[in-house]
Amino acid sequence: MSAFIDARNVPSGTVLEPDLAIIGGGPVGISLALSLANTPLHVALLESGGMTFDSKTQALYEGARVGAPYLTLEASRLRYLGGSSNHWGGWCRPMDAIDFEERSWLPYSGWPITKKDIDKYFARAHALCEGGTLLYDRAGKYASEMGPAIALGDGGVTTRWFQFSKMRGSMLPTHFGDRYADDLKRIPRLQVYLHANATRLGLNAGGKNIDEIDVATLTGRKFKVKPKAVVLATGAVEAARLMLASNDVVTAGVGNEHDLVGRFFADHPIPRDTATLVIFDGKLSPYYTEQQTFRGAILRAGLFPSEAFRRANAVMGSSITIENRVDLDDLASAAVATTAAAIGVDAGDAIAFSLGCGMEVTPDPERRFTLDTDKDALGMPKLKLHMRIADSDFAHFRQTLKELGRQLLESRAGMLRLNLKTREDWLDGLDWGNHHMGTTRMHADPRKGVVNANLLVHSVANLYVAGTGVYPTYGAANPTINLIALVLRLADHLKGGLR
Amino acid sequence: MKDVFTRRNILIGAGGVAAVAGAVVGGRYVFRKRYAPSPYDDLLAKLNDRDAAAQLGESVLADSDDFDAKAVADDVRARLQNKTLVQATAVDAGEGRVMEAGGWILPETLALLCALAAKAAS
Ligand SMILES: Cc1cc2nc3c(=O)[nH]c(=O)nc-3n(C[C@H](O)[C@H](O)[C@H](O)COP(=O)(O)OP(=O)(O)OC[C@H]3O[C@@H](n4cnc5c(N)ncnc54)[C@H](O)[C@@H]3O)c2cc1C
Repeated sequence: MSAFIDARNVPSGTVLEPDLAIIGGGPVGISLALSLANTPLHVALLESGGMTFDSKTQALYEGARVGAPYLTLEASRLRYLGGSSNHWGGWCRPMDAIDFEERSWLPYSGWPITKKDIDKYFARAHALCEGGTLLYDRAGKYASEMGPAIALGDGGVTTRWFQFSKMRGSMLPTHFGDRYADDLKRIPRLQVYLHANATRLGLNAGGKNIDEIDVATLTGRKFKVKPKAVVLATGAVEAARLMLASNDVVTAGVGNEHDLVGRFFADHPIPRDTATLVIFDGKLSPYYTEQQTFRGAILRAGLFPSEAFRRANAVMGSSITIENRVDLDDLASAAVATTAAAIGVDAGDAIAFSLGCGMEVTPDPERRFTLDTDKDALGMPKLKLHMRIADSDFAHFRQTLKELGRQLLESRAGMLRLNLKTREDWLDGLDWGNHHMGTTRMHADPRKGVVNANLLVHSVANLYVAGTGVYPTYGAANPTINLIALVLRLADHLKGGLR
Repeated sequence: MKDVFTRRNILIGAGGVAAVAGAVVGGRYVFRKRYAPSPYDDLLAKLNDRDAAAQLGESVLADSDDFDAKAVADDVRARLQNKTLVQATAVDAGEGRVMEAGGWILPETLALLCALAAKAAS
């Protein structure tokens, strides 16, 4: 077992020459390093942080925001081994086939790969997330012992399932750093450098190859890594920053010949109390409101627009969760009594719940990061986020909720009130998934994407970007498990190409 | 006679109706409520609680710039000619004919009945 190396003890001027440099030790960097364990490749993993949180390192994530309300850049991710998995929620769900498709009604849609291309990696990704028995939508079969699913007929919204990463007592789900530290230490040709910040991707004079990476510590040490290939696994925001800030050879920044790096940023908006769900007979199975452990997995049901509904109605993806019980005011009670009588059901025992959601946003090139004039403690320019959210995104989700309301009436199971109408309503108390996506989008055409289907930067022969930044559209599924599947596919590609 | 509502008129009307409805709800169980006759009493009789329906109907009226009560009543009458309200609302929901009233998703026939109830109360 080889210990991790503290970069603060590496003499300045040192030059490392691994086959592959992985920049970033979050779920992506760790999963990739684990997948390359049995190859002859010499790998150096450079991680900015140590094994625990450190405020000075975390401050390197600070940046500015303008436009629509959004989280502070340093609060929505963590900068130490394990990355943001040190505070993730562990929610997992596969993306749908439609999420990968080009849709005529959705500008900028279409991945250069299909869901099938990553499906075969999903079980291993699920295992790395410690998700237990792979059930997802098969869970419904077993959950019926706990009570029926909400009767929704054949409409556009159906019950589907989230699965969760393993909990450890009071601890949150799989923290990749803690969980896999020993496994990483057992890999003979892997060296993990902690407190090692990549500060520049050094292109060769022709601008077609990364020749060297500058590395700095907060204690003032500086050294270089000269790998055969590089995988940038710093998360979507930091990947854009490193590429834009490395502008000594190509002035627009690495891989940015077509002014795409930093653009199309996205996250999943999570508006609160979007709707009130009334169940007429007062019976709701517990798996809708609380995680349940069964068949070796932790699961919770949600309500999702079907692929057919999304296609037919040109709506974006979303997930709906049933949250806390709510009381009905006089008008709501009148609505329930009047409707129940009109459709011929007894609502004497009716109960009501607040609905939460995660929404997919439409790709927007102007929702973007640019370099700011401020610099961080290592002298790197900070980022400025230009945040936007379109009214049409809220309208898409409203349409899905309306369909759910229709289905409840059709099946006479309940009814729905939409609680948010104006832009101000939606933005009031709006939360976000902390799912940074889209800054280094994937596309077969170099004019439309930063990386190709193998995650290789179009204009650079040996630089890969592995992160949710490569998502050209975002779906509504929790991103990490799908990302890890994509990274395992990259591992296979690297195994073939770098030997 | 065409009964055209502007949004402003509706809002002014709605304020007044809300105050009346409040008094009615408060006294509902003490006094048997008598309603002033309206041209759509035959339809409103299908509602189990006209006052509750009127409250919901206010929102339907507030959202329609141009509510033609007579035309709506004729339309609803036609829908209910050979169907019970339960049957008509089932058809509405099955065929995707739903409307919003104060955010509530209602079968269209019911939402229009509610609007007529609000109109009758104004
Ligand atoms: C509060 C919160 C809750 C979340 N909940 C969920 C959830 O329930 N389900 C889900 O699917 N996803 C969730 N996510 C998202 C999930 O955490 C990310 O998708 C995932 O961590 C991405 O992994 P990554 O390795 O690409 O990036 P990160 O986790 O961000 O890791 C990047 C790593 O790179 C290092 N680094 C950064 N810059 C440099 C540099 N210049 N040099 C060297 N190293 C560097 C960082 O220290 C970090 O360790 C959540 C995120 C947050 C913040």
